[in-house]
Amino acid sequence: MRRMNGTQRRRRRAGLLTGGLAGTLLVGGAAWAAEPPRPDEGNAKQIIAERCSTCHERQADGSLHRIDHVRKTPEGWTMTLFRMNQIHSANLSPEDSRALVAYLSARQGLAPEEAAPFRYILERQTAVVETPITDGDLSVMCARCHSVARVGLQRRDADEWKRLANFHLGQFPSIEYSALGRDRKWWEIASTQTPDILGQKFPFKTKEWADWQQAAKPNLAGVWAVTGHRPGLGRYGGTATVAAERDGYSVRYDLTDAGGKPLTGTGKALVYTGFEWRGTTTLGGQEVREVFAASKDGQSLSGRWFLPEHDEVGASVAAVRTGTAPTILGFSQEHVKTGANARVTVWGSGLDGGPVDFGPGVTVKTLSQSATTAVVEVAAAANAAPGARTVSVGKAKGGGFTVYAALDSVVVEPAFTIARVGGNGGTTAPVSAQFEAIGYLNGPDGKPGTADDVRVGALPAAWTLEPFNEAAKLMEDVKFAGTIAPSGLFAPALAGPNPQRVFSTNNIGDLKVVATVKDGAATLTGDGRLISTVQRWNDPPIR
Amino acid sequence: MNASIIRRLGIRRLAIALCGVGLLAAAPVSAKEYLVTGVKPNGLVVIDPAARKVEKIHRIPGAGVAPGTIVPSPDGKIAYVVTNHLESVSGIDLESGKEVFRADFSSGAQRVKAMFAMDVSPDGKELFVFQSPVRLLPGEYKVEDTRIAVFRTADGVGAKAVRTLPAPRRLAILAFSKDGGTLWALGWDLYALDPKTGAVRDTHKLLNWTRENFGPPDILDVWPQFEQAGVFSTPYFTSRTDLPPTDPSAFKTGVLTLDLASGAVATKEFEDTSAVIFSSVVNPAKRDEAFSVYTQLSKIDAKGGALVKRVDLPHTYYSINIAGDGKEVYVGGTACDVGVYNPDSLDRIGQIEIPGCPDQGVASLRMVKR
Repeated sequence: MRRMNGTQRRRRRAGLLTGGLAGTLLVGGAAWAAEPPRPDEGNAKQIIAERCSTCHERQADGSLHRIDHVRKTPEGWTMTLFRMNQIHSANLSPEDSRALVAYLSARQGLAPEEAAPFRYILERQTAVVETPITDGDLSVMCARCHSVARVGLQRRDADEWKRLANFHLGQFPSIEYSALGRDRKWWEIASTQTPDILGQKFPFKTKEWADWQQAAKPNLAGVWAVTGHRPGLGRYGGTATVAAERDGYSVRYDLTDAGGKPLTGTGKALVYTGFEWRGTTTLGGQEVREVFAASKDGQSLSGRWFLPEHDEVGASVAAVRTGTAPTILGFSQEHVKTGANARVTVWGSGLDGGPVDFGPGVTVKTLSQSATTAVVEVAAAANAAPGARTVSVGKAKGGGFTVYAALDSVVVEPAFTIARVGGNGGTTAPVSAQFEAIGYLNGPDGKPGTADDVRVGALPAAWTLEPFNEAAKLMEDVKFAGTIAPSGLFAPALAGPNPQRVFSTNNIGDLKVVATVKDGAATLTGDGRLISTVQRWNDPPIR
Repeated sequence: MNASIIRRLGIRRLAIALCGVGLLAAAPVSAKEYLVTGVKPNGLVVIDPAARKVEKIHRIPGAGVAPGTIVPSPDGKIAYVVTNHLESVSGIDLESGKEVFRADFSSGAQRVKAMFAMDVSPDGKELFVFQSPVRLLPGEYKVEDTRIAVFRTADGVGAKAVRTLPAPRRLAILAFSKDGGTLWALGWDLYALDPKTGAVRDTHKLLNWTRENFGPPDILDVWPQFEQAGVFSTPYFTSRTDLPPTDPSAFKTGVLTLDLASGAVATKEFEDTSAVIFSSVVNPAKRDEAFSVYTQLSKIDAKGGALVKRVDLPHTYYSINIAGDGKEVYVGGTACDVGVYNPDSLDRIGQIEIPGCPDQGVASLRMVKR
């Protein structure tokens, strides 16, 4: 273990002291009142100096070959260390790897701005259709096989990118032959043009990283107002109480789900690179992994949590510190129909400071009210004006609530996603897909599907599957690919060749997912596309 | 199609059920031909197709799982097989199963993989192996130029390359001309190489072709299946640049043929792309006719550019070969059986199950005569 010097010991003690007072002290912009806890770097420095350097030799300028010339996310470093163990017999214990990830992420990580465009891959979000990087065909050269994000979450200079290209073909000589690489002189491009472009676009040295290294890092201890969305289950919200520990944080969640049922749990988190929150929590009896980013000022957290073995199942998370500017973060139900009433939970910060108002034509009866939660009974008059409302609770204001008389359209979310066959005695679990039917009003232009549409929110729907195209019809994909539950959850069929199918093919399918929503006497439908495909055999932390 | 597929499946089951009865009449009587294929882990399978039975399964020595390219010696006695995770070639005596030749490519800081392309000279004396080397330095890899390593088959186990020839990257097929004077190599383009020096004597442009209104073709053929007709063939896929992509006739499937006796090269589209095809073989009895395979078996008029007939297969097959008299077509690879088809009706007339149902993967399906 690393020995602490005097200054560090003092800092630790100071951190522990103020950590206990954090709840009262951390108001306004004083998020850094205490030095934040940092993940234990153990004897990382010694491992690098004594073991890594046997291959990564020290250069004339004093730097270590390769190691000192790359910046990555915690997941990126984890993958590197995994590869060093698997391929290069680095013999790193789990403790060694944890210490190295902490050390390397702190010294050679990505600044918040650098990681921001690609966080979806760290959060293991489902149904992301990436924006291609058009510079020099990078999306074709790199992102046909893995995500654009995997490239965008690394920083190297051109010579180091070129070494990575050499690793690629050296380790996977089939790249030149694969359907994704053989339409061009892949190696000739990858070893010349591509590293230069990458070195310009994602260089090792950046102002963002230099600034972030200098910046004071936020202490995240305190009470947070939290909301989020669990696809298929609706919104949730409440508070998270975060306390500093020796090298990370403990967290207690006091949440309720959309129906008002408690959703509670406790967990622990490490914060890498000063802002990359990685937690493990037991929430509602289930273990979940958290991948959040703290804002640079330490006033907000956002990200996603998911099940460790089924990361397609999870929730978005948005949190703000309580005690700061009052704000509304979300609602348990995003709409009320004219002439109807509903029980709505409003989640946010500073919600105990005044009356609840949903605007004209909506009467509100407040059932309970605290700093982070207001539970109300709303009733929309038959003549209440349909449209988006700005809701206020005292000084806290927030959008995202709609009064509607009649739906104009229904949209299926996600519009396009994948599921994967699995199970059946194989090593890979199936990957499900959750759909939701979202109601919309047309907005001022009177047309559906335009930018001014007003979101009404998730609505109960009847779900059916149809062949997406002629090929899917011929292959009877609907019959074989899987089933969709009344909740909109698609469960893929079992993996492996199916002798019942033409060509004994796998139970893959290209499906149109249709939601039928009843709105009074009207029936509206919307559809999305689902490709249920084969297993992913290799599933690294960054895909 | 649903109903017709079901109907066809029904007929096929009937055909399989009857094949035991029809077998004697259908069996070729003249040449003694043996199919050679590979199975995981490290098995080399010798099949008597006429008898519809597996003759022998030999063990390929050393590390590795999936046998790759298989090249039979001209006398049909030895099969050279890429093994050891593509880092070695092993010559197995097909009768005894003994390893009579072996070359291990990697050494020390250089890792060398044999990426598919391999052939033996017509006199059987030299084995030509396309190699993709990488230098393993302490902290990094350095990709090196691809090459063709030439081994003397007489050097037996422990053979070292007697010379190496420069070679374009991404070769997948090596095929000697009948006279041994030209080593044909298929990569982005089809190259005629000097087997002594590796010099490119001629290039038939493929990916680099400049056909008006046609985009560059996609060709990847890792299955050398040219020994029966002396004609190498491969499917290719191209597109019409003068038609919108929404037009079904904008995408074309063709077949490339290379006559290893005359050196004649021909490309001919035969259909609007409607099926995936992995590999093909030319009929030695009707040399304008080719058969291709993946989930469907197709009969192609390679000269006239027409799809003659197509049937569904019970599962995917990567490789295909044909009897010397053209009277039976064999589909293999992928799974653990070899299907036998009538070349006229494309009816399934027989089946050879490899015991234990091992996976043939991408191994070649070659024919030897003895």
